[in-house]
This record gives sequence, C-alpha cells and structure tokens, in this order.
Amino acid sequence: MLRNALRKDLLLNARHLWGILPWFLWVAYAMSEPDAGRITAVGAAFIGALMAATIAAREDKLRTTATLASLPVSRRTLVEARYLVAYIVGAATYLVVVVMAAALPWSVQRAAELVEARTLLLTLTLASMAIALLMPVVIRYGLLGVMVFLGAFQLLGVGVMVAFEFLGSRSGVGVFSAIERGIVALHRGLGQPVVILETAAVVALATWLSFRLSVFLAWRREL
Amino acid sequence: MTADLALDLRGVRKSYPGFTLKDVSFALPRGVIGGLIGPNGSGKTTIIKLIMNLIRREAGEIRVFGLDNRAAEVEVKSRIGFVYDVPGFWDDQSLDSQRRALGAFYPRWSDETFHRLAGEFDLPLDKKYKALSHGAKTKFALAMALSHGADLLIMDEPTAGLDPIFRRDLLRRLSALLQEEGKSILFSTHITSDLERVADVITFIRGGEIVFSLTRDELLDGWAIVRGDDRVVRELDPRVVRGVKHRAFGVDALVSDGAAVRRALGARAVVDKVTLDDVMVLMTGEARHAA
Repeated sequence: MLRNALRKDLLLNARHLWGILPWFLWVAYAMSEPDAGRITAVGAAFIGALMAATIAAREDKLRTTATLASLPVSRRTLVEARYLVAYIVGAATYLVVVVMAAALPWSVQRAAELVEARTLLLTLTLASMAIALLMPVVIRYGLLGVMVFLGAFQLLGVGVMVAFEFLGSRSGVGVFSAIERGIVALHRGLGQPVVILETAAVVALATWLSFRLSVFLAWRREL
Repeated sequence: MTADLALDLRGVRKSYPGFTLKDVSFALPRGVIGGLIGPNGSGKTTIIKLIMNLIRREAGEIRVFGLDNRAAEVEVKSRIGFVYDVPGFWDDQSLDSQRRALGAFYPRWSDETFHRLAGEFDLPLDKKYKALSHGAKTKFALAMALSHGADLLIMDEPTAGLDPIFRRDLLRRLSALLQEEGKSILFSTHITSDLERVADVITFIRGGEIVFSLTRDELLDGWAIVRGDDRVVRELDPRVVRGVKHRAFGVDALVSDGAAVRRALGARAVVDKVTLDDVMVLMTGEARHAA
C-alpha cells in the first residue's frame, strides 16, 4: 500500500513538483560562480524537499483529501508516503545539481565535492529538519498552514532584526551571519564521528517526533 | 446477524456547534437500495462521512458487512464505492492518470470495467478533470466507484447536477447492479422521484434524528394523506398523524396508517396515497421533485 501511496503522490502531483524547475535556472547560473556549488546543491535539496512536503496542501486545495481518506489505505500509510516523497524529491533534486555541476560546460564546480560524505550529511540534516518542522503543519492545516508557517518565519526574521537593532547590541544581519557560520561549522564538524552521531541522533529524534505528530494529526483530522 | 447486513448503525452520535446527530440507528440489508432523505442540514452528509470514517463518531457503532468501520478500516473501504456530492479529484490530471493512480489501491480493481463504463458515460479519458462539466465529473466518480467490485455503494447526492436522461440511466444501472450482483447501495438525495423509482428502504432524517426507516412499500402503501377540513383532522388518532399542512380551503394531514384512517373516516374525507414528495412537504415543509 505504501508503494501505491508513493506512486499516487508522484503521479498525480507531478505538476506541483515541476514548480522546482525555475530553481534549476538559478542552479545553472550558480554553476559558473566559484564556491557556489555546495550551497546551491544543499539549497536545491532543501527547496525540493519543501516543495514535496507541501503536496498535502495542494491536495487540500483541490479537495482531494476526502477522496484519499476514502481509499482502502490507512491515514498512517498516507503520511508515511508524504515523508518518503519529500526525501525522494529532495534527493533527486540534489542529484540533478550534481549532474549539472559535472555536465554544464560553464560549470566551475567539482562534482566530487558535492558527493563527499560531509556535504551529503549536511544536506540530509537540513532537509530532514525542514521536513520535520513543516510536515505536521501541512497535514493539519493544509495550504493555510504552509502560508502561516512561512509567514511566521518571515515575521520571526523581521522581529529578530528589529529587536537587535532596537537593543543596539549588534546588527540584526549578524543573526543571519551567525546562522550561516553555524551551518559552515556543522559542515566542518560532520567530518568527526562524534558530531555525526550526535547530529544523526537529533535528526532521527526530530523526524520520529514529527512523524508521530503528523500521524496523530492526520488521524484526528475531520474531512 | 450483523453479517447479513451491509450496513448497521447503532446509537451513532456526532456533535458540531449548533447541530447534533442524535443516536442514529438504522440498518441496510445486503442486496438492498437504501435512500437517505431529509431537508438541508438534517445530517445526511454527516452520516455518510461517519460511515466512511472521514469524521470521528462520539458514540455508537458502525458496522459494514459485520466489520467495525474503524477497526477494519482498510478492508471495509476496499468493499465500498463512494461518490460524494462534490467529487474531489486532481484538477490538472487526466482521467486516465487518476484511474492508474487510484485504481491501484483496490485489490479487485478492473480496468476492463472502468473502460467499459467510461465508454458508456462518454468520458474523455485523455482530458483533464477540470475540463469536465459537473455532470461528467460525477460520471467519472461513478465509473471509479463501480470499477473495483465494491459490495456497497455509498453516494451523497449522486444525481444532483445530472441531466434527467442520464439520471434515469444511472438509476436503472444501480437497480441492475443489485439484481445481477447482489450489491447494496445507500444514497442520499433531495430528488424524491429518484428514490421512488429504485429505493427498497427509505430512511428519513430531520434535525439530526432518524424520523423513520421503512421499506418503500410500507411507506407508499401504508401511509396516506387525508384531505379534509380541520374538524376531520381533529378526529384523527394523534399517534398516526405525522404532519399537517393548512391549505386555502382545507387541511392535508399525513398519516402513518392509511388503512385504519380510511376505515375510521369512511366518505367524510378524501384519503389519498402518498408520494415521497408529500412526505417531505408535510414533514419538513420542503421537497424537490424532478422529472
């Protein structure tokens, strides 16, 4: 049944997933920029995973959620498929960037850098955390949930910047630099077994909690 | 005993702000067409959603072919074909893509049956769902519901938006399904003439409560309308009077024991046979009859 649910998600929501294509225009351009390979690949996987994670929102909009819930498949299996599709699309998007890095004539990236373990682990970590955060919201609130979720992050970012400016301690932009430095540090740290284990434990826990919550919310949801 | 029933609801309760479905109980034997009628907001769609486990019941029991609709959800749903009043499919996908994606969920799915029905319904399989008319969308939902060997069809207002010719054809097809394959069907509708044509059992719901659940013959042969004046209606046994409507020159009273009333009144009043329209009008004040 999981296979059918996966197939359904990919077959009937292909058009939604094609929404990632414009991102590849940016990727194609970024391939000519020195040192842009890693961030572009990680960003592509992140965007791909997020796009796939919002399939439930699209189905909500189309009013197909009740149709799905009437099929002989448990809501848990449908949720499992949602998570798997997000990982599959994220991985596929990453793979396309690697191929572009290797194949585009103007690419100055080294594709080998993009497939080293540290970078793959960093991508998996960031995409997993994004999926873990977004999925329960989408499953419970659909399109509105996505908008509120993204809007809340925007507001949070604006709020942080304003707060720092107001307090005068340092520039709000510094917050985002700090996030960037954190990601770079994590990337560096993922070369060490202890950091890999710790990160894997955090990601696994977050994903497990997110999945359990999503299953609960899907079960509770009235259609 | 419950295994002989396609559907068995006992004491089912569901509350929303301003509306409560109150301890609903009724059964649908196997091989029978059941019609669910009632005014808007009476709870017909809520009952169908509860059977399909789209919403959670607060109390009671729902069994489909003897199986609890929650505990054995996947098995129960593999035996149900459903058509909702607003069919929900993927707008930007072709009918054939949806057939491939959704048919795979059913163990007894038949592409042959689907293609035969699609041909009979004139469904353009290569067209996107959004390009279809409302009637064609319902036909597609019907083709999907009838192509996986469902033992029970559950339909919420399936004939709304369909032209009279197709509606008649659909009702004929549903009757044939019953006779040839022993399927059971539950459908809700406002169009009482549809029910008169095919329903074996009629369940009437009003304000979240089942008012009656009777066979068509019990209802149409047993009930009657008394047409007379106030004095005649006052003579009637109040236990059999189910609804009264005052007209310009008299009163219509719906009674649940036509034979007894005929004997009691003799020639002092006209006692007519009822139609479902009469029942709807006299019990709720609304009805919708279509050709």
